[in-house]
Amino acid sequence: MKMISTLLITVLYTVFVQNLVMSAGLGMSEAIRLAAKPEKFRSLAVMITAFSVITGTICGGLSRIPAIATLPFAGRAAVYGGVLAAVYLIAALLLALLKPQDRRLRSTLGIAALNTLVYAVPFLNEFAAYSFAESLFSGLAAGAAFVLAAAVIGQGAKLLANNSNIPPIFRGSPALFLYVGLISLGFLGFSGTSLFQ
Amino acid sequence: MKEQTPGFRVSFLKSAVLSNPVLVQMVGLCPAVAAMTNVRSAVLISAVLCLDLIVTCVLASALMKRIPRAVRVALYLGIGLALICPLLYFIETYTLMNLGLSIKVYLPLLAVNAVTALHCEKVAVKNPVRTAFSDAAAVGLGASIVFLIIGTLREVLGSGAFAGIDLDLPISLKGLSLPFGCFILLGFLAAALQAFSPYLRQAQTRETDAQPAQTQPAQTDAQDDLWSDILEAEAVSNERLAALDEFTERLIGGEEDAQ
Repeated sequence: MKMISTLLITVLYTVFVQNLVMSAGLGMSEAIRLAAKPEKFRSLAVMITAFSVITGTICGGLSRIPAIATLPFAGRAAVYGGVLAAVYLIAALLLALLKPQDRRLRSTLGIAALNTLVYAVPFLNEFAAYSFAESLFSGLAAGAAFVLAAAVIGQGAKLLANNSNIPPIFRGSPALFLYVGLISLGFLGFSGTSLFQ
Repeated sequence: MKEQTPGFRVSFLKSAVLSNPVLVQMVGLCPAVAAMTNVRSAVLISAVLCLDLIVTCVLASALMKRIPRAVRVALYLGIGLALICPLLYFIETYTLMNLGLSIKVYLPLLAVNAVTALHCEKVAVKNPVRTAFSDAAAVGLGASIVFLIIGTLREVLGSGAFAGIDLDLPISLKGLSLPFGCFILLGFLAAALQAFSPYLRQAQTRETDAQPAQTQPAQTDAQDDLWSDILEAEAVSNERLAALDEFTERLIGGEEDAQ
């Protein structure tokens, strides 16, 4: 029971309190670009979650090996980056073998794997000293955080694009930045941070 | 025919200002939002980003044109890591500079930055080395200018200091040091750029007219307006909805006729 509550807290913390996209800007560029291509939403969300879980879990296992654990931070960053590149290349190979005609999925694969959100998950697991199960759930939660942020940004972008009351110089990226800023402020509310102390 | 490249001024105006990677294309936001809370981190991250961008784009243009796209994308990460990780180790070990946790984490993350991947794929691999270099340098400069403005404003207004020196300001806006403050600053900076865009476009036209023999690089894809993408996506979904409505009406009409 205690384990389930710990895992649930890990997920809730990563999705809401410390939403990796809204609070740390991880994967923000991908979330915003996804707003322009809603037809890719489902496939990209699933792939980002899968890459976060796989990379986070493998790196979590590797970081327990003494030779890697004692490396300086830059060395561990190189190892995590190597793992991410290897996972991506294996996925690309599998996709090429299993679905050689699906060009759309292949073009999404690079964006889904090689982004700041997926690469940051092993570092977060390391700093939070997560166990194997917690690393697994933290990867899942990173994917959920991305889905939530991308969905909110996508809906807002659609409304802003059709709003003719926005002054001309604020149309486009300025309005979207201000909208994302206000959503980010909303997420800050979950963390209990005070702006006036 | 000998391929000609545009001058750096035209490339700078186009890639760094009018299609600014951060303010217009909305890429490279991750380090700006979380790590750029002071001038020192802005300078460090800008320098590393420029180095990574220029080296990766030049290598992509010179050596990677025949490599499949899936492998190329992984190579960009490899090049980024090969540059950034030794640099990070050197800074930590030999300069005794206390980087702070956020910079320490965000420096390696620059290896998977969307700015690098986007410009390597859309410009570098389709153009000669010289064009790739001038585009990468212009884009790097454009991003660095925004990073420096953001870093300075956030440190001065958010912490009441500049480069670590206390300015003893009567007011401090703590919110600017937080991610939402950065987005709001970016929004106002993007609006300011949009306000000056007509004048800058005129300047760009004059510059281009002054160089009639020179051809433009194949970089229009990279500078696609995100907003037109959103509007296009919206138009597509509206078309789909209209088609669905029509289909439903026909179906209902058919049912009514049958009744």
